[in-house]
Formats: sequence, structure tokens, C-alpha cells
Amino acid sequence: MKRPFVIVCSLFAAIFALGSDPPAVRVEPTDSVGPRPLEKQTRTAVIRDYLQAWRGLSGAFEQNRADLLDPDFVGAAKEKLAETIREQATQGIRTRYRDSAHDLQVVFYSPEGLSIQLIDTVEYDVQILDDDKVQTTQHVRARYVAVLTPTEVRWKVRIFQAEPK
Amino acid sequence: MSRIGRLLAIVITAATVALIVVGTIWPVPSAVAMAGSGATLLRPSSSPQAAVENLAAEIGQQAWEKAYSSLANKSEFTELEFARDLTGTYPSLRTYATLDSFDLRPLHASADEAQVQLKLRWSTVVGAFLDTRTLRVVRTGDRWGVLWPIVKEPRVPPQVIPVNYLRWDVIYRGPEDDWGSQDVEAPHVRIVDMHPVDRSAGVVIMGELLNEDVVPAFVTVKATLLAKNGSAIATEDSFDKISHILLPKQVTPFLIRFQNVALSEVDSVHMEPSASLIAASADPVIEIEDQHFNPAPGAALSGKLVNQSGQVVSVAHVLGTFYDKSGQLVWVADQYVDRALLPQTPVSFAMSIPADIASKVSSERAITTAYSSGRFQ
Amino acid sequence: MRSRFTFLLGALVITAMPLALAQTGSLHLPGTVEAGSAFSIQSTGNGNAVLYIVGLGQVVKRKVQLGQTVSFAPGDLRSAGHYLAVLVGDSSTENGAFDVTAAHQPGALSFLAKPSRLAVDLHDGISGVVYVFDAFQNLVLATTQVSFQLSGVAGATQTRTALTHNGVAWTKMDSAAKEGSVQFVARVGDAASTRVMQLVPGNPCHLRMSARPSGQRLAVETEPVRDCNGNALPDGTIVTFTERYKGGESTVDVPLKRGVARTDMPAYGGAKISVATGVFVGNEIRWGGER
Repeated sequence: MKRPFVIVCSLFAAIFALGSDPPAVRVEPTDSVGPRPLEKQTRTAVIRDYLQAWRGLSGAFEQNRADLLDPDFVGAAKEKLAETIREQATQGIRTRYRDSAHDLQVVFYSPEGLSIQLIDTVEYDVQILDDDKVQTTQHVRARYVAVLTPTEVRWKVRIFQAEPK
Repeated sequence: MSRIGRLLAIVITAATVALIVVGTIWPVPSAVAMAGSGATLLRPSSSPQAAVENLAAEIGQQAWEKAYSSLANKSEFTELEFARDLTGTYPSLRTYATLDSFDLRPLHASADEAQVQLKLRWSTVVGAFLDTRTLRVVRTGDRWGVLWPIVKEPRVPPQVIPVNYLRWDVIYRGPEDDWGSQDVEAPHVRIVDMHPVDRSAGVVIMGELLNEDVVPAFVTVKATLLAKNGSAIATEDSFDKISHILLPKQVTPFLIRFQNVALSEVDSVHMEPSASLIAASADPVIEIEDQHFNPAPGAALSGKLVNQSGQVVSVAHVLGTFYDKSGQLVWVADQYVDRALLPQTPVSFAMSIPADIASKVSSERAITTAYSSGRFQ
Repeated sequence: MRSRFTFLLGALVITAMPLALAQTGSLHLPGTVEAGSAFSIQSTGNGNAVLYIVGLGQVVKRKVQLGQTVSFAPGDLRSAGHYLAVLVGDSSTENGAFDVTAAHQPGALSFLAKPSRLAVDLHDGISGVVYVFDAFQNLVLATTQVSFQLSGVAGATQTRTALTHNGVAWTKMDSAAKEGSVQFVARVGDAASTRVMQLVPGNPCHLRMSARPSGQRLAVETEPVRDCNGNALPDGTIVTFTERYKGGESTVDVPLKRGVARTDMPAYGGAKISVATGVFVGNEIRWGGER
């Protein structure tokens, strides 16, 4: 009974690792984002950097390497994700996150230009591996709140939190 | 290899050898100045020109002892005074300059005396400057000797000059990630005037930048030329055609050059002034005295800089802004002063202006930026 | 396209597997848990299993006995977010999910107050943005009232309140007419954050100078330079004196010292002397009589 399960899991792990098409991204039009008008270039840059952050996150959690978060995350978001990676590593766990769809909306751009808030209804698959053995794969649809702040060359995610649907 | 090819190779080799021999036996005087071992190649001072050439070559090699000993009027000053005439008593652009080349032009000659104009071209990190001296050369026996027109830098008498101008220091927040916590605000600056013009070599963007804040600012201006389709043609910044340190309410002109771009290709210009806080001092105060606009030919703005403070200024940078009758900005010129500015001691400057621009100039404004040895303004 | 189809097929197979295998029990999960609070998970069946609680904010792995309640103490799960619960037994795997929400009690504020230095008498010149966090650095997404207060050396205290949307609230305030330091405070319940802002004089509005002989030269001096609200411009502000005389001109940029700018200039009969600071031009005098 266990053998076919392991075989199917291994097959799926291979499919999971190799079959990673870029996620479908939909950006909702933004009429007003609060006190500051949002320029098209800024919006494009923020969304590009946010999606890149998901790729960085995926690699960091799969390889249990907190340093892979550095280019995309900063502040509390980075500290929390890095702590989770340390917990994973301590317990021999790895997780594979594959985002398949993002439905994004820019909801707030602060007046001094130092923060932008996004709401992302994201679909992703999570695979949990314990001692390199796949324990489960789950498809998740969740709503994330992300706050990005500008750094020297790019926007970085400072707050990253799922909220109940 | 064909016979023609072999012949060509032989000809080139022979010509190269011949040129090396000619260059070694009859070197160009300014090349001697540049060569480290030029002293061995000097001609005897058997003519006024040869005497001046030898002197210039020794100056180029900074062989002060040899140069001084060749002078006909060395009893009038010391070797140290001679060297200081050329390199400056106080640290200045001259101190760090090297002789790039020289030219001489005989003005007048008789059997025992001649007059020769010597142009020494010195190179520095901010460009070249020209030192022109008219030399009397006299015959002593079968040799000619130069009477050096010494320019003795004035010495400031020992004294205490109290200076109590404001100085700004900046304490930034720490390097730790403290998002949202208190920090010092960057200075607010504003472009108050901007004017693109088409010059033969390309496009020039001129303008004026105001520090409208109450703190000093380190400023730069970047310009991007945009084509009709919105694409960027080129991006340049003002480099040294600007006063980078602006005290509160101070205005600097700026000039940005774009080579090989025609104004007709440009649809719009994106200007990006930037300012950051900088520690600075309101001292020294420099007066620009006796400014005269001299029209073409040889159009130039000349004047004298007077350091009203107690600190010796090593390098002074003068920027001139020129306006037409309607007050429209028409040109920005600049000049570095090669001598140190001593307290209360006028030093002349002259910045040239293109002849076609000079005819439009109705008024002008000059500002200075001062750099002192060991500290910035 | 092919890889996506294969992926979907694999996902269907793997999702169906636990249903086929999980014959002995089920997971009873809470719908939502407040960050930092105690909670428990009930399983059914018997035998040994491993419970995984996996989220981006935290990961927990525990050996459990099926059929027993697994208790989590206060503070065990502190990070808000979406969590998967996976119970892997000898012969079965059970899955579930739940959410951890931020604590209701605000614990900290990130207060972005800008600018830290601005001119007096500016409408909506000051902006304040507050992100509200709980004690575990989770963004409090429930609507919360934030009060902003601007008080300082002069002028009435300004107070505003704003409700958070998605954890953030903002406001704008006017700067007072008098220069000096002001305190900008944001408060949510017991959590407060203070920023100090410097109100500085605005553009000059009053610039007058006078001249008198000083030996062979001319001493020129301004009256105290003030903005339109009567605030004296700070020392160090550059004042430019320009003297135009027949065939020449002299200029000197002088910083204000103790509120006034003074310098010596050449004394030429009939010279016109003007004064300016920034783009503001003051009076002009002709040496020999003011005009």
C-alpha cells in the first residue's frame, strides 16, 4: 500500500520541480490609491518586484537558505520568513511553494512615497518534505497583504501576511 | 609574402628608425620637457630662444636648482622664491600641476638683449591652465641668460583672525533597519531656470538651481534628452560646471553638454536635480571685485577674488552666468584659479565666452566655490 | 502547456490518495486562531502520527498520538497567516488549513511622519502614515482608530482621527506660522509613537540694507531678514550684495550672522548696490542717496 504512494509522490515531486510555468498575473485597475498618485512606472516596478519576491521566497524555502530572501525582503517580513526557514531546517523539513496565479490590487501609496500596499489573491501549491520525503501537496488560495518600501535600486517586501478570507 | 609587401615592410622599418634618430638628435623642446632625461638633451644657451627653451625644459622637469642657476637675475631672489613662483607658496592648483607643454615666441631681439614670450601649459585634475611670461634675455659673454620676472606671492603677516561663521554638521540615523523612525530630511532644491541651446558640437542645457532650504546641500543635476517617441537619447550630468555645495538660499548655474546630438532630435528634456545633506561651513566668504565683461574679440569676464576670511583657500572655482537683455540665460562659463587665495589678497581671474554668445550678453552674475587644503569649503 | 497538464494530473492523483487512505480518522481544526493564544487540534483514530503546522510565518512539527488532543500553549503560534495542518500517520495522511489572525490589542506602530523639516504656514505640509502591529509584529487588519496630534511651541494643537484600512491609516496636517520644533504623535490605544519636526522660516519677505563709509570702502548691512510671518531667516542663509559702477561690478555672497548680513565693498561714487537672497530681491541704493 505504501509503495505505490511513495512512487506517485516521487513522480509528483519531479513534476512539481520541473513543471513551473510562470504564474498568471492579473492586476486590477487602480483609480485611487490614497493620498499620492501612482505613476505607471512605479506601479509596474512594484508589481515586478513583488512577483520576483515570490520567486525568491520559493527558492529560499525549498533550499532552506534564508540568504536568498535578501534581494527581495526587508525588515519584519524578512525576519519572519528567515525564522521560519531556520525552524524548517532545525526540524528537517523543506517546503516547495509554487505560485500559479496572482490577482493583484494596489490599495495604498503613502503620501511621502515610502510605502505601497498590495492585496494579492494568490493561488499556489505547497509541498511539504520531511527528510526529503514528500508528505503532502496542497493547493491554496489565499489573500495576502504586502507592503513594499523603496530601497536603493528596487522595491522590497517589508510586510507580508495572509489574511482570513 | 609578395615582393611589394616585403618592400613596404622594409620602407616602414627604415622610416621608423629614421624618425627615432631625428627625434633623439633634434627633439622638440616641449617633448624634452616631458622626457625625464631631457636635461642631457639640452642645447647650449647660445641664443635667446635656446636659453628660454632650456629654462622651460628644466621647469618641466622641476629641476629648480638647474633652472635657477641658469637665470641672469638670480641675485634678486632665492631659489625657493623662484620655485614658489611656479608652484605656489600655499597648496593650490599649481602645487599639483605638471607642465604639459610650452611655446615661445620671440618678440624683439638685438645683439645683447632679446624679449621672448613663454607660454607654459600646465595640466591639472580640473583641466589645463596657461601661465604666460614675457622674458628678457641678456647676453653674458657667449651665453644668454633669462631675467626671470619673479612674481612673489604676498605673505600674510602673523595674526589671529577670529572667524565665527556658522558651520553645519549632520548626524544621520544609524545603519540598523528602523523603518519609519526619525531621520534628517534631504535639502529641498529647485531648478529656477532652464534653457537648452544648439551648439555646433551638440546640445547644451543651461540653468540655475536654488537651495530653498535652511541647510547646506550637495547638489547635482542630471538631464535626459527624450525623443518624440519618448525614448531616451542620452543622459548626462553637470559634472564640474556647477557649484556642488549650495548654502541656504544660494543659487548656482549649471551647464550640461551632450555631444553629437542635435536639438531638432529632442522632444523634451527630463531634469533630475538631486540634493543630499552635507556638513559645511559658511566660511570662507569670497568677494568678487571689479568684474568686467570684455566684449569680443577675446570676450571674457574678468575680475578679482578677495578672500574676506582668515583661512587660506587652496582652489577657487568661479562660475559665471550670462543673461541677455530680456534676462534670459544665454551662457554659463567657469574658471579655476591656479593660485591660493590668501586673506584680503586679490587674485585675478578671467573666463572666456564664445564670441557669438558674447554679443548677446547684457548682464552677468558670478559665484565662487572654495576648496581648502584638508577640508571641503 | 504540457507540463501544466501533467502537473494537474499529478495534483489530482496526489489529492485523491489521502482520501483513499484516510480511513481511520479526521482532523478537527479551529477556523481561526488569534496570534499568541492557546488552541488545540483534535484527531481521531489510534496509533502514532506526525503533525505538521506549516505556514510562511512559522513551522511546527510534533509527534502525536492519534485520538488525543494536541494542545498549543499561548505564544506557540505567533505569526499571523494561512497555515496548513498535515497529520501523517503510519497508513494515512490528513490535511486541513486554518488562519492565524493578528491580536486585537495593538502593540506597536510604524509611524512614517514626513518631512522632518519644513517651512512654516504650509497647508497639508505634514503627512503621517501609521501601520498598526500587534505585539508579535503582525499587521492588525481589523479596523482600528488612530489619533494624530500635532503640538508645539506655537499655534493651536491640531488633532485628527483616522480609521485603518488593511492595517494602515494616514492624515495630513498644516504647519504652524511660527518656527520651532513640533511634536507629531500617533496613538492607538496604549501604543504611541512620537516624531519631532522642525518648522523653519519660509521664503524671505523683507530684505532691506543700508550702506555707510568704512575707511576707503563701503560697509553694507541688512536689517534682520524675515519671512512673511515675521520669522527671522536662520544664520548661514546666503545674502548676495551686488555693486554696479561705471564699467564694473562687485559681488559678494555673505551668510547671515546673528540675523544680519554685512560686508565691505569698494566705494565708487554713483554706484548702485542691490541685495538679494535666493530669488527674492531686496532694496537698491545708490551710493550718495537711497532710492
